[in-house]
Amino acid sequence: MTTRRELFKFAGGSAMGLLLTPAPWRLITDTALWSENWPGIPRPAGGEIRTRFTHCALCPAGCAVRARCVGEQPVALAGVDGGLCPFGVAGHHLPYHPERLRQGDRQQAASALAAAIAASTPDRGVAVLDLQPGRTASWTYRRAVAAIKSGVYLAPEEPACAVNLAAARTVLSLGAPLLDGWGRPNLVFRARPDFRLIQAEAIESRTAALADEWLPVAPGSETALGRAVAGEIGAHEAAGITGLAEEQISQTARALRENGLALIVAPEMTSEVLRWNLALSGWGKTVVPRREAPVPKTWIKAAPVIPLAAMRDGSLGALVIDESVPGAHLPWAEIERKLAPGAVVVVFTWSRAGYARHATCALPTAVYPEAEGDLPQAIDAPEAGFRLTVPLIPPPPGMTDPAQFVGALAGLDIKDALRERAGAIHASGRGSLRTYADGKSQAVKDVKLDDFWKALNAGGAWTSGTEDSGKPPKPASITAPAINTDTLWPLRLAVDSPAAAVLVSPLMAKLSQESRLRLAPRTAALHPKAGFEDGARAMLETPYGGCAIEVAVDASVPPGMVLVADRPEIADLRGADGCARVVRI
Amino acid sequence: MNKRYGMSIDIDKCTGCGACVLACAVENNVPPLPKANDRRGITWMRVYKIDNGEEYPERRSAFVPMLCQQCGVETPCAHVCPQQAVELDPATGIVGQMAERCLGCRYCMAACPYHARYFNWWDPSWPAGMEKTLNPDVAPRMRGVVEKCNFCHGRWHRAKERAAAAGQKDIRPEDYVPACVEACPTGAIRFGDLNDPSSEVAAARRDPASFRLLEKLGTDTKIYYHSKRDWVRQIANAPHPGGSPGGKENIRG
Repeated sequence: MTTRRELFKFAGGSAMGLLLTPAPWRLITDTALWSENWPGIPRPAGGEIRTRFTHCALCPAGCAVRARCVGEQPVALAGVDGGLCPFGVAGHHLPYHPERLRQGDRQQAASALAAAIAASTPDRGVAVLDLQPGRTASWTYRRAVAAIKSGVYLAPEEPACAVNLAAARTVLSLGAPLLDGWGRPNLVFRARPDFRLIQAEAIESRTAALADEWLPVAPGSETALGRAVAGEIGAHEAAGITGLAEEQISQTARALRENGLALIVAPEMTSEVLRWNLALSGWGKTVVPRREAPVPKTWIKAAPVIPLAAMRDGSLGALVIDESVPGAHLPWAEIERKLAPGAVVVVFTWSRAGYARHATCALPTAVYPEAEGDLPQAIDAPEAGFRLTVPLIPPPPGMTDPAQFVGALAGLDIKDALRERAGAIHASGRGSLRTYADGKSQAVKDVKLDDFWKALNAGGAWTSGTEDSGKPPKPASITAPAINTDTLWPLRLAVDSPAAAVLVSPLMAKLSQESRLRLAPRTAALHPKAGFEDGARAMLETPYGGCAIEVAVDASVPPGMVLVADRPEIADLRGADGCARVVRI
Repeated sequence: MNKRYGMSIDIDKCTGCGACVLACAVENNVPPLPKANDRRGITWMRVYKIDNGEEYPERRSAFVPMLCQQCGVETPCAHVCPQQAVELDPATGIVGQMAERCLGCRYCMAACPYHARYFNWWDPSWPAGMEKTLNPDVAPRMRGVVEKCNFCHGRWHRAKERAAAAGQKDIRPEDYVPACVEACPTGAIRFGDLNDPSSEVAAARRDPASFRLLEKLGTDTKIYYHSKRDWVRQIANAPHPGGSPGGKENIRG
């Protein structure tokens, strides 16, 4: 008979013996595999694969985009005529960004603005600050503020001219990120084999690294080289400012004058840069007037464009900022100075990171590729154009259309503004329409209005064709900003990735956090001899304020410079002279 | 005839913009990893910045896109894998990694001379809603396995299906292009069949300024780099680009 003791011995022996078999180890493996493949791992959705076309709204270049969609959902973006920049490649992630603004009190904003408009006086005006002028929405703002008592339309200074890179044989770039998002990438790289590129810049940027010649000038002295090349100052004087050899400056000037058509470009194509290009006889060839697509005649009664700097300090009782599309970023200190005490600030934005930090009320807007709109002219577009950002997915509920909101304040119905503008373009009978699906171009006069509108909404583009440039304008003379020699601010601030939007895809961390290709947010690169070790905590300070940063030691950053990733908090710190200092915490 | 897919990368054209890195991550459902750093991140395609080691202003930089070099002979990762999770496809010459077979021992990572393999330290996850943007042709890999570039094998399958539907025996070269090649704004990356003498990559391979990384190992890699700059060509024999003068050690895992 089996005793209880024998039963226990058998059970214990079995348990011990089991450990010597593969069974428990197999169980551990299976458990590990199960936990690896747990149901929480996302599974890609299936569906019909479709191709749709739109234009990227992340910068004025407005590249044509071919979207691969599963059903209605874009899953991959690619360029139509060439590759997109990294921001554009992952642009379809933006609607799901964790930092996206999703709520805002529209009623509160409307009431506050209505009260401000009612109480407005010439000393306490109402202004719209449009960070990306030149769109149909910009015309809406101008029409709206014209109808509002003491209304003002503010915008950053637009380029004084457009450039035609395809015509140039020698290009002198004064710190412009020509190969890194300055113009339309496909056109820049198509024209690149045909021109010699001289990059004058203190830092060896991506453009400088691939230029035919890099002139490492003293930080902030690029303007002096431009003036010397245009013959406004002597080579000797320029050599003293830029740190280049006198002979090198003379050689550069000779190269520009003797090797066919020449072009000078700078990050901002100001009147001064236009003047240098006129001195090189580039008008009508390498530099042309900026052309805009026709607008309906009824829109012409619009408010003029006024630069923010022209406003009197403390003269704005209400300010509406359109930050719904990435554009210029003016330091907040410059904007704040123009506000009257107790002024209302309403910001249309898709992120909490930008001006929403300073707003009385921030209203969420649709984001690319949800938002519908058109694009301003690219800096390297020698002809007028009209391209729509066709929404690929619908925006979530609760989003505000900034143009409609501002139009409603002035009692304008602007629902069909884009269609009206397309009608005006069609009525002009000029130019051609290109459709990306079949790659064909046809004259606008051969297309019916409805078909023209449909083609634009299917991702087509209108271009005006070559036009006479007319007489060159008389560029205003501008005094070059003095080079910073203040010992209090010994460094010159420069930004990496100047095309960076307010928000970028979370995948951009692959470039900055998971590799060191670009500077991570809140990181500043300094020369090894600056006295900081890699990873040190420090404060980046400018006359506008300061922010905490982590130091990355980089021997490619020249002494006397600090390189940072472009973020709104950094843009708030940047003044015209770019002076800064880094202080160890 | 079997294919032998390969790539040519013109370093003199690469601006280091990173579009290839992003396009690769989008195409292959590589997740953003909030906790990752440059040692633990997953970047099938990674661009290294190298320099000539001189002091400013004589310092000159170049960008080297680095991905699995698709070794054709004595493939080191395939040799050491105890699970046969790495296979060289004789029909395409592509070195494939099967996540389902991988047990995560990371021998292959140690064996890879190019540090082009990546370990999944975390469960793949995306910010809420972003999982809707995943590519339906590629399954996300689970935690605990190794992954690497496979020349966008999902695209190859798609091209095969399209060719079959069109009644073609073989895929047309323009129908199969990896995401990084399609994304490169400067046209620095070219792709094609090295066995086809008329292909761009075969022509680029014959260029005297072309070189392969660590050619002395004799692994017959299929990524041909190109540069007219002597100091750039010298990196071919450095242990890895991060090991060039002034560079940083960068060994993951």
